[in-house]
Amino acid sequence: MSKPYMGKILMVDLSDQTMTPEAIPDRVYEEYLSGMGLGAYILFNRVPAGADPLGPANILGFCSGFLTGTGSLFSGRWTLVGKSPLTGCWGDANCGGTFSPAIKHSGYDAIFFKGISPHPVYLYIKNGKATLKDAAELWGCDAIETEGLLKQQYGPKAAVAVIGPSGEKLSLISGVCSDRGRIAARSGLGAVMGAKKLKAVVLEGVHRIGASDPAAMKRLSRQCLKWVNFPLPLPGGMMANVGTLLRVSPLVFPQDGLLYTSILRKWGTGGMNQTSIEWGDAPLKNWDGSNCDFPTKKSRTLNPDLIKKTEIVKYHCYSCPLGCGGICTSKGKQAHAHKPEYESILALSGLCMNGDLDSVYYLNDLLNRAGMDTISAGATAAFAIECYEKGILTREDTGGLELTWGNTEAVVALIRKMIKREGIGDLLADGTKAAAKKIGKGSIEFAIQAGGQEPAMHDGRNDPGFNVHYCLEPTPGRHTLGAHLYYEMFQLWKRVKGLPKPSPLYTKGSKYKVNREKAQAAAACSKFMSLANGAGMCMFGLFIGAKRIPTFDWLNAASGWTLTPEEYMTIGERIQTLKQAFNIKHGIEPKDNFISARALGKPPQKEGANKGRFVDIEKLAPDYWDQFGWDKATGKPEEETLRRLNII
Amino acid sequence: MPHTITETCNGCGACARVCPASAITGEKKKLHFIDADLCIDCGACGKTCPQSAVLDAGDASCTMIKRSEWPKPEIIIESCIACGICIDACPVGCLVLSERPRKKGVDAFSYLKNPKTCIGCGFCSRECPVDCIMMRKPEKVVAHEA
Ligand code: SF4
Ligand code: SF4
Ligand code: SF4
Repeated sequence: MSKPYMGKILMVDLSDQTMTPEAIPDRVYEEYLSGMGLGAYILFNRVPAGADPLGPANILGFCSGFLTGTGSLFSGRWTLVGKSPLTGCWGDANCGGTFSPAIKHSGYDAIFFKGISPHPVYLYIKNGKATLKDAAELWGCDAIETEGLLKQQYGPKAAVAVIGPSGEKLSLISGVCSDRGRIAARSGLGAVMGAKKLKAVVLEGVHRIGASDPAAMKRLSRQCLKWVNFPLPLPGGMMANVGTLLRVSPLVFPQDGLLYTSILRKWGTGGMNQTSIEWGDAPLKNWDGSNCDFPTKKSRTLNPDLIKKTEIVKYHCYSCPLGCGGICTSKGKQAHAHKPEYESILALSGLCMNGDLDSVYYLNDLLNRAGMDTISAGATAAFAIECYEKGILTREDTGGLELTWGNTEAVVALIRKMIKREGIGDLLADGTKAAAKKIGKGSIEFAIQAGGQEPAMHDGRNDPGFNVHYCLEPTPGRHTLGAHLYYEMFQLWKRVKGLPKPSPLYTKGSKYKVNREKAQAAAACSKFMSLANGAGMCMFGLFIGAKRIPTFDWLNAASGWTLTPEEYMTIGERIQTLKQAFNIKHGIEPKDNFISARALGKPPQKEGANKGRFVDIEKLAPDYWDQFGWDKATGKPEEETLRRLNII
Repeated sequence: MPHTITETCNGCGACARVCPASAITGEKKKLHFIDADLCIDCGACGKTCPQSAVLDAGDASCTMIKRSEWPKPEIIIESCIACGICIDACPVGCLVLSERPRKKGVDAFSYLKNPKTCIGCGFCSRECPVDCIMMRKPEKVVAHEA
């Protein structure tokens, strides 16, 4: 019987340049799947308490998804794991493209690195044979250049993950890139790779990936396919009106994710640009502004149809029938670059009040090449602008840059400096919290972050669920784990017993009420996404709804197990609890990760979509923690819980 | 079960050259050997061996086929969902996702970019979730003359 996993990992010690394949017992896969789960298992057990994230004791792992390569769809994502230098917490970053199957084709479920190499190296694996090679000539090259050079040498089928100059320069907001501009951007793990002097991982293997019942996998995939091509008749110009409608209507109904997947299919994530601004989902002006500051007249430049016009062909990650990505061309330098994502667009435009779409294309490409996270880079620029506007930073500090709201040229120049770590850019290249610490003068108030990480472009004052996850996840500041909206779209109650079903019509205000159902829903999202990250599934596919996308059935058909959805949710719960236990082991106080007051609505906004909104995270936290069997007051997993989940 | 090589092997090395998994080793003019952990059962060695020395996964003896007659994938572009599963499954990397869209819209599709390197293993066809890849023997040039 074919298994969906290789049953092996590769542990590379860069300090003494040794490579050790290790067999992983079946039990570990049964309890944690692979992907993020296997990553958490290895790191929890092997990174010593208090380890310096940029030191030799930290471990960086490239983990393929459990379902990757088994014939399932939407399952081509890999997870990068490590202790985050940005937050000091458990760190992970997720990326699509073609790297996830390549890890398995190389014969391993995951590749881990510890130690620090005495000189720059890259790892090359061909058909099971691993070698560390000198990377002196690649050091300093940007991510896309490096990938090009490596592919020239090893052929186009080689899968490559690299850091750009930002990772090399240990910028705490840098990530790891693959597939010419896709990036595992969050948690600052690019700096961990840079500190290890590891420039790239190059994989060339043909190991076959199995499934217990390939025919069932195919059948399930086909059943799911019919939901993917649901057409959307709306033109891009109308998307702002959808947002306005969502804003003014006092009553809302649970949203069906099919709407979102069809938007994603048509435009990609950028399809939501204007809707989000109008609706109050997109934070503006460093989280201080509202849709009134960035009206449709201004956001017109972000109309998704304009972006679509530059698209030559759709880009699909491995095993994805949706293809939210695109290869775009815009004049000049950005020939054949990846289509900018919603997060990048809003962080570089609305958050800095920059209405110039061309500059967004330019910066997106620049940051992808540098290997710097667009969310954190945009957020840090917005922070700097606010500091400048408030007189905390002077023209002298900025090296002559006129850092005012909406000054496109200044934003571009600032981000260039951050990439080069030049002048003020050096100060800002480690994100808002580190910068505010150095700047002082009360600037921390304007550093909008959770546990040190800049949250994504989804305002938790609009959807309080985002704030719950920004504040309470073991990886603070992440937006891809849960939200009020995600819960509605996942439709988990249709497959998992005991989960609350949202009422068919409710008032917006009721979203802010603290009750048990909210905690149940948020915890279900966290468990489900932890499971999905173990499986290598894409959240956008999961938006289709649990009854239409057969996640649990694929897992059973791939593995030959016969687990119930509830049992799979327990696997997610175990992964989530292990990540939290990792944080506790490393001395993190979960309460310290709460997001900056402004993003919670303290003080509440005076106008716009989120006027008067406040999210009482102090009240929400205990219920959420309780759902996992973590201490209600501190968020620490109870010993009994760790035992129940077989962690200790 | 992997492919294996029997005593009739004369050590010409043709199989080792065609194997995409670097699974075959052996000195020139000596019996060659297939590493069971590396072999992916693509069958290229069997189609190449002039001595019929290769046994397939079911232990049946393979017969040599002229490379120009090895089957090749034919992709029905209209049905392709651009999932890239075939591209990833291909052990020699001769399929790619188009950098140009189909006739209408912006949808990409998969196509055989390097027919010469294709080893006719059929993995692409087997793994395509919508079964839009057919393995066909290339048509003879004679057909055109008729
Ligand atoms: S069947 Fe394919 S992978 Fe196996 S030895 Fe022959 S050529 Fe190599
Ligand atoms: S048959 Fe398909 S998978 Fe096999 S080599 Fe040819 S194109 Fe690649
Ligand atoms: S596997 Fe089939 S549907 Fe997917 S890209 Fe290849 S031909 Fe198209």
